[in-house]
Amino acid sequence: MIARVADHCFWLGRYLERVDSTARVLHVTLNLALDAELSPRQCWQPVIVVAGEREPFAKAHGEDAAKDGELVQRYMTWDESNHASLVRSIAAARDNARAIREVVSLEVWETINELHLWVKSPAAAEEYAESRWSFYRAIRQRAELCRGLFQSTMLHDDPLDFIWLGAMLERTGQTARIVDVHHHAVTLLSSDSEVVETSLWLSLLRSCSGFEPFMKRHQGRVTGRAVAAFLLLEPSFPRSVRYSVGEARARLEAIRPPSHHDLPGGRALLRLGALDAWMHELNPETLNPLHDLATRIVNDAAEVCVEIGRELLGYQVS
Amino acid sequence: MAVEHQATSLFAGYPVAPGTFDELVDARGDIRPAFQRALSALGATSPEGFARFQSLAERSLLNQGVTFSVYADARGTEKIFPFCLVPRMVSAHDWAHVERGLEQRVRALGLFLDDVYGEGRILEDKPVLRELVLGAKQFLPTLRGVRPAGGVRIHIAGIDLIRDPDGVFRVLEDNLRTPSGVSYVLENRIVTKRVLPQAFEEARVHPVDHYPARLSGVLRAVSPSTTDYTNAVVLTPGPYNSAYFEHSFLARTMGLELVQPADLFVDDDKVFLRTTRGPRRIHVIYRRIDDAFLDPDAFRPDSVLGVRGLVRAYAAGNVALANALGNGVADDKAVYAFVPDMIRFYLSEEPILDQVHTFVCARKDDARYVLEHLDRLVVKSVDEAGGYGMLMGPTASSEEREAFRRRIEAEPRRFIAQERIELSTCPTWDGKTLSLVPRRVDLRPYVLTSPSGPWVLPGGLSRVALVPGSYIVNSSQGGGSKDTWVQKAPADSGRTA
Repeated sequence: MIARVADHCFWLGRYLERVDSTARVLHVTLNLALDAELSPRQCWQPVIVVAGEREPFAKAHGEDAAKDGELVQRYMTWDESNHASLVRSIAAARDNARAIREVVSLEVWETINELHLWVKSPAAAEEYAESRWSFYRAIRQRAELCRGLFQSTMLHDDPLDFIWLGAMLERTGQTARIVDVHHHAVTLLSSDSEVVETSLWLSLLRSCSGFEPFMKRHQGRVTGRAVAAFLLLEPSFPRSVRYSVGEARARLEAIRPPSHHDLPGGRALLRLGALDAWMHELNPETLNPLHDLATRIVNDAAEVCVEIGRELLGYQVS
Repeated sequence: MAVEHQATSLFAGYPVAPGTFDELVDARGDIRPAFQRALSALGATSPEGFARFQSLAERSLLNQGVTFSVYADARGTEKIFPFCLVPRMVSAHDWAHVERGLEQRVRALGLFLDDVYGEGRILEDKPVLRELVLGAKQFLPTLRGVRPAGGVRIHIAGIDLIRDPDGVFRVLEDNLRTPSGVSYVLENRIVTKRVLPQAFEEARVHPVDHYPARLSGVLRAVSPSTTDYTNAVVLTPGPYNSAYFEHSFLARTMGLELVQPADLFVDDDKVFLRTTRGPRRIHVIYRRIDDAFLDPDAFRPDSVLGVRGLVRAYAAGNVALANALGNGVADDKAVYAFVPDMIRFYLSEEPILDQVHTFVCARKDDARYVLEHLDRLVVKSVDEAGGYGMLMGPTASSEEREAFRRRIEAEPRRFIAQERIELSTCPTWDGKTLSLVPRRVDLRPYVLTSPSGPWVLPGGLSRVALVPGSYIVNSSQGGGSKDTWVQKAPADSGRTA
């Protein structure tokens, strides 16, 4: 396929995944703030950190602002100057889809376009004001609908592989960052406030849609180590890092089969293959120190993206 | 659909504009007999009911992103092309005439282009035409003797028609380069069928949705590839072009790749596409970029657009371009005056379709007449489009007329003039008064030509001037569009176009 089109597909996948993930984290944190006996800062700071927005946010609103849940939500939802905000990510997904309007199916395009039009409309602002819960839910549902439509209305060939590759690499980084941001709580195994920790872990699971799957695996025994291991390593959970990396590798191998040495993409495949192999060596007992592991995953995924850009998407890398 | 039978029909009290031909209603204000059955359901709708349908239709166009980009806005704002749900109808009888006339006209224009870039027989015959053609900006002398792959030059034509006060269809303009708008024809139809299914069914209308398949057939038919396998693409300047929606629409509905100039390159006079698996040979390009921006080597060295070497590949016969290069010389507004002569010259036939009498200022007598009658003529610059570069004599101020006088005297070759014709009107929805008002319309039918000859899409883009009293139907100047319903002949209920 055309390298430029592949680039738009890749970023369409990434932005949609980011929209879904950001809406989910906001959604879950809203809930957490009601239940857990955590300080507002403990609740809302991670939202900013996971998005990689700690510095710009502090610069714009002051070091202390992370305790203001309303401000954090406004920043992560509506702020046009924040490139990780929902409105910006949705617009970016829509711009990419529009540039390849002939590649994505009509249903996919309509869904993304409607999401964009809706989030810009007075109806969305009203929903945000009246029912925050259904506002975030509406965004997540449309993102989910889009994902389903990718699978059910498009040819399963190169464009979809690139969309999925982008989504899986984005998911890999997001999940690793979510685990990392909470690692202090997760690794703090002895604690006075078991209730608080449990609800933190549960929120961690929920922000990755992993609550019910985790319970099915562990029959209700919630420990920090088990949660971290589940989100990083569970092979059959579609949002775990191991699963996402494996899926990204499968997509990249479909795009550039390992045996085709004359085709571009060899270095990207090598790097992604190494990350995948390393994820398979890890086990729940070797997850320390969690912060280092998560950092390595985030960095490796970023480097894979750089190689993909250079070899397959036509980026000029200086 | 909610049909409320009540005394106040949607068409009752419709104010027919005096001195014009109305497409749907006769001079007494009654629906024309041919359309009575088709419009009965629509006519029985209450204004409130129709307002609801109209807003449903607009919503649907917006959600689908059926928009055009507005150049003036740096952020690339998109607008929906204003749409009126009241259809413009054409009877089977009228259409048969239009269809034959268009086929004849496009055939003659194709032969004219072959001749101009070949022997130049007609130029020997008509010295004024010779002067016009050789002096035209759009004439590309470097392409003399180049025969395009497949032999077709005007793969896609958009011929603008108007209807005069007697109801006679007249050609207003030929568009033989990159005529746009067909995507709105197809989208308007989708929306109309969705919102007015009952009225549509009653009307027995020719379908239009096979256009992309026809076009893709034309593109494959002119491929220089000797194997069964042809790679055809649609070439767009990119998402910021005002017609980007259409470019992607056509690529999508034909199942072709939509490419930008930077995606293509030329090697050994062959065109290739940069792909994630390396270069892929391209045989046919439906290009939606003007000649001047296609190849910086051949035309404009300053252009950053374009594919270097494309014209050489084209001249070598290794790639087909639709439309062919250099067609602009045949849709020049001054050359237009000679199309009836072309029909007689090449086909030995009389023109079937009338056109508008045109004064060509390159002819001394014509120029004198034009300068003496600026207050009653419409003057057009031959190489500007989109309703720009025009003088509407009867409504212009004396300063405007003087400015045009000076321009004409300086460069007579660049101007033509026509009598102003009262364009026909069509009942059009006015959302403010919740009623139908007469608004001027034109019609752009699309003609596809393959090596086996021309084919006319039944219908076309009906553009409507939404501003009261305006003659300007261009989307860039506030025009809108309507679905065009060409009725099937009573006998051919089973026939499809």
